[in-house]
Amino acid sequence: MALLTVENVTKKFSGLTAVNAVNLTVDEGQIVGVIGPNGAGKTTLFNCIAGALAPSSGSIRFSGHEIAGKKPYEICQLGITRTFQVVKPFATKTVLYNTMVGAFATTNHLKEAEEKAIQVLEFLGLHKKKNVFAKSLTLPERKRLELARALATEPKLLLLDEVMAGLRPGEVTEMLPTIRKINQAGVTIVIVEHIMQAIMNLSEKIYVINFGKKIAEGEPLAVVSDPEVIKAYLGDEYVATQH
Amino acid sequence: MTFLSGQPPMVRNLTLLLLAGLFLLPTVVTSPSMLQIIILIIFYAYLTSSWNFVGGFAGVLPLGHSAFVGIGAYTSTLLYLTWGVSPWIGMLVGGLLASLVGLIIGLPTLKLRGAYFALATIAVGEGLRVLVENVEKVGPFEVRGPKGLLINLVEDAPLSAFQFQSKVPYYYIILVMLLAVLYLTHRMMNSKVGYYLAAGGEEPEAAEALGIKVSRYKLIAMAISCFLTAIGGSFYAQMFLYIYPKSIMGLELSYEIAFIALIGGRGTILGPVIGALLLRPVSDLTRIYLSSALPGLHLVIFGLVLIVVMRYQPKGLIVPLRHLFNRHIIPFLSRKNGKSDPVAPQKSE
Repeated sequence: MALLTVENVTKKFSGLTAVNAVNLTVDEGQIVGVIGPNGAGKTTLFNCIAGALAPSSGSIRFSGHEIAGKKPYEICQLGITRTFQVVKPFATKTVLYNTMVGAFATTNHLKEAEEKAIQVLEFLGLHKKKNVFAKSLTLPERKRLELARALATEPKLLLLDEVMAGLRPGEVTEMLPTIRKINQAGVTIVIVEHIMQAIMNLSEKIYVINFGKKIAEGEPLAVVSDPEVIKAYLGDEYVATQH
Repeated sequence: MTFLSGQPPMVRNLTLLLLAGLFLLPTVVTSPSMLQIIILIIFYAYLTSSWNFVGGFAGVLPLGHSAFVGIGAYTSTLLYLTWGVSPWIGMLVGGLLASLVGLIIGLPTLKLRGAYFALATIAVGEGLRVLVENVEKVGPFEVRGPKGLLINLVEDAPLSAFQFQSKVPYYYIILVMLLAVLYLTHRMMNSKVGYYLAAGGEEPEAAEALGIKVSRYKLIAMAISCFLTAIGGSFYAQMFLYIYPKSIMGLELSYEIAFIALIGGRGTILGPVIGALLLRPVSDLTRIYLSSALPGLHLVIFGLVLIVVMRYQPKGLIVPLRHLFNRHIIPFLSRKNGKSDPVAPQKSE
């Protein structure tokens, strides 16, 4: 069953069409990847779903609700939580505090929020750092905190904006099982990513976007051998010289 | 007193000792002028703690809070002078009115960031003062413009009149008000509202993504802050029994509150208290000895202190004091304690 349906979504910035009539469906329980070269419009599409931007036209439906144009906090309350590519921790607060802010989405009580936050931190292997200030975390830890805070809101759909960007290869391989574990716990995931290998590894289905348009969709292996996709990433010549 | 039980025994004992000392203070300090200075320190600590709800926790810098002091003072006084309403009730009416005004002002301005919000609040504060200065009469209320309002002393006034011959009752009233507002601050910081305010103040975009309607929580903070500030205004009116726009609605008062908060440490429970303890004596001394030669000198001194504090302790003097207290005084006292009986140690904060 489709949890998220994006239909004909277009986003224009005074003359520039950043996202052009894109369609996308995400079924419950899936991990869906969105890839594309720099400036392809991935993040704009992502922001339209998360509510940071209102699409110029088109419809976005999430488990029966029309969410296009809704505010980020309303979308979160409906069950979609996002992370940021450039992490935005509450830097002067501890890891536990940060995660509790997320946990308060489902409770009004301090104790409950704390218990839930600790569960999430244990799940993500961050509980040893719970009393550390967010500003003194390393980048991989901050990315993990970003995940913890989002998970603490108990989302049905998690939108991950380049959670692996900026990580070293070893750190990426540590992140992959974490994301899979989140998915296995019942959270549907849409992941926007640059690192092809990472996304190929994770996703059941991949959408490729270039110049604001969807140029391919399907299983990871089928998508990467698609000539259109190769052209978008490597240029015309590469397609011509391929045997 | 549940918040005390969570503290280490040493801190708890010191706090209880300090509280006992504060409640017994009027038996030691018998000079009315000295008591008045202490009352004003507590009064400013109270006003700044009220300011702290929005200025300390909501990530904005209000510079027009004297408007709410004025609303409180004028509401309770006008109700008393016109209809004989007890100032105790007028106090609450003033508080509610200030909350309402705060919400109306906050709705468009709390979305402004940084200096723009500060400028908007200055404009509102000054606008209200000029308005009051130019109004002689509204309906049944004699506002009397710049001349201000005088509350007549009644002999053998009943408790409901909220006026006392001695300073001592005022001392206890403002002390209880301060303790109440500090307790409220503590409760707020450890609640969903406190977490959401901190999140929205620090990273509004991330907060919204976590389901927080940041503007709503800022408005809640504004309403609480304005209510408490106005109650302080009513207290001021009853203490001096004379108010005029410049005395309670001027920029000077707004700035002084902000100075105390910034120097003491905004966004902390005890920062406003420390700020008031340090800065109030400065304003009193300059006012007593230099007011004819250099009026307003205390604000110049505050400004210089602020520059130095912001340069070396941008989070306020609470930070080095807390460090001193936790790292040196508590271990020192605990060590002493182990050997002999504690001999009434005084808390330095």
